[in-house]
Amino acid sequence: MRWTAVMLAADLPPGAAAGTTVDGTDLAVWRSASGAVHAWTDRCPHRGMRLSHGFVRGETLACIYHGWRYGTDGACRHIPAHPSLTPPKTIAATDHACREAGGLIWVGGTGEPPVIEHPHPVRSLEVAAPPEAVARAFGAAEGVRVLDLDGRAATLALQPVASAATRIHALCARPDDRLALSRALDARRARAEGDAA
Amino acid sequence: MTIAPADRAAWYPAAPSSAVTEGHATPTVLLGEGVALFRTDGVAAATGADRRALAVTERYDHVWVCPGTPDRALFAIPEAAMPGRRAVPCGSIHVRCSPLRAVENFLDIAHFPFIHTGILGEEPHTEVNRYDVRIDDDLDEVWARNITFHQPQASVSAEGALDVRYEYRVPAPTTAILYKTCPARPAEWDVIAIFVQPVSEETCIAHPWMTMFDDATPHADMVAFQQTIFLQDRSILENQIPARLPLDPGMEVPTQADLTSIAYRRWLKRRGHAHGAQLVAA
Ligand code: FES
Ligand SMILES: [Fe+2]
Repeated sequence: MRWTAVMLAADLPPGAAAGTTVDGTDLAVWRSASGAVHAWTDRCPHRGMRLSHGFVRGETLACIYHGWRYGTDGACRHIPAHPSLTPPKTIAATDHACREAGGLIWVGGTGEPPVIEHPHPVRSLEVAAPPEAVARAFGAAEGVRVLDLDGRAATLALQPVASAATRIHALCARPDDRLALSRALDARRARAEGDAA
Repeated sequence: MTIAPADRAAWYPAAPSSAVTEGHATPTVLLGEGVALFRTDGVAAATGADRRALAVTERYDHVWVCPGTPDRALFAIPEAAMPGRRAVPCGSIHVRCSPLRAVENFLDIAHFPFIHTGILGEEPHTEVNRYDVRIDDDLDEVWARNITFHQPQASVSAEGALDVRYEYRVPAPTTAILYKTCPARPAEWDVIAIFVQPVSEETCIAHPWMTMFDDATPHADMVAFQQTIFLQDRSILENQIPARLPLDPGMEVPTQADLTSIAYRRWLKRRGHAHGAQLVAA
């Protein structure tokens, strides 16, 4: 199974939770107080609330609706409406493989995520076009690609979101290139969306 | 889209009375179908998409419509006629959620400390004590009784935190009524209802309405209080998956605190109510 980059690691500080989508599957990605990252199906087993709206307490993610708390393995640890109850093991969030490597957060793969040479995060941006159209406009391949954008070295990791939505996570070799690369990405986004329209 | 017979036979709120005026039609939507509301010589009337006249009744400051042939009269709220009470329609809130999810959320107290923090609940007072729930077969209604909960600011007029007593009643598929300790008169209840208009299976309009003993609080403050609460609920309701309410067990994990919700789902299923429900486990 291939890893998909879902966000820049710098965009998820300790204690944060965020929602993302890979090929139509909604995920809650969160970072515990100690810094470990986790990706779960974005749905609380209790009453279906999106876990990405939840709040992190230490090494647990709590659902915003009724405060059910889930440990890093996804198992429910605490039900505030019944504080003295030990939740049955069967109550658990659905855990997906998740890693932090090379300045990115990766989900859903096996083995090691791809090696990223460029250390500086530029930004993530969403393009309203299918991954093929994005790959054409950016000269990138599906997955990860190192390339030259207007003379500046960058790494682009493509995240297929839905049939007409793709996210791009960009990193670069030199911090001074960030502004120019960000503009170059905007120009190509417009081209990709024009192609797809 | 085909609508189940039981769904057609029920009463639904279609607009606040104040929105239906003489001399022109007020368009709205019920169960995905266009409805036009009129008022002639003070009397409200409605027609469906094919201009067929629909059954209408006007009560509790709202116009109620039955899209088919009503199988019963509109439920009664006896407190509404009690002298000394004040009826407070609280506006209309559009929500992108199943009408049934909106009702179920209204029946739920376990979320108060997390969603209505500092108003209807507060950590560490999160425990939900055992309470009584039953489906009343004679009335064909769901009732929950003997609920108590610690509330920091139970209503606009409450002074400080209170242990509040609650009862819930579901008299129609998209209506729920809450009876709540009345700070001014311990022997009486404040009555707070949510009249949910099913626009489609995944969109609705919530019309909160209350009747209480409170001559002092300005109307605008009472409406503002309820709007605050409902807007907090909306942030939840638009983010539940699946959007439609699963009626079959298996998809979600209820606990003892969810007994009202379990009874509500069972009662909907027994009535054959399908609009806004997910009937096959996904
Ligand atoms: S829906 Fe998550 S705790 Fe209730
Ligand atoms: Fe609420």
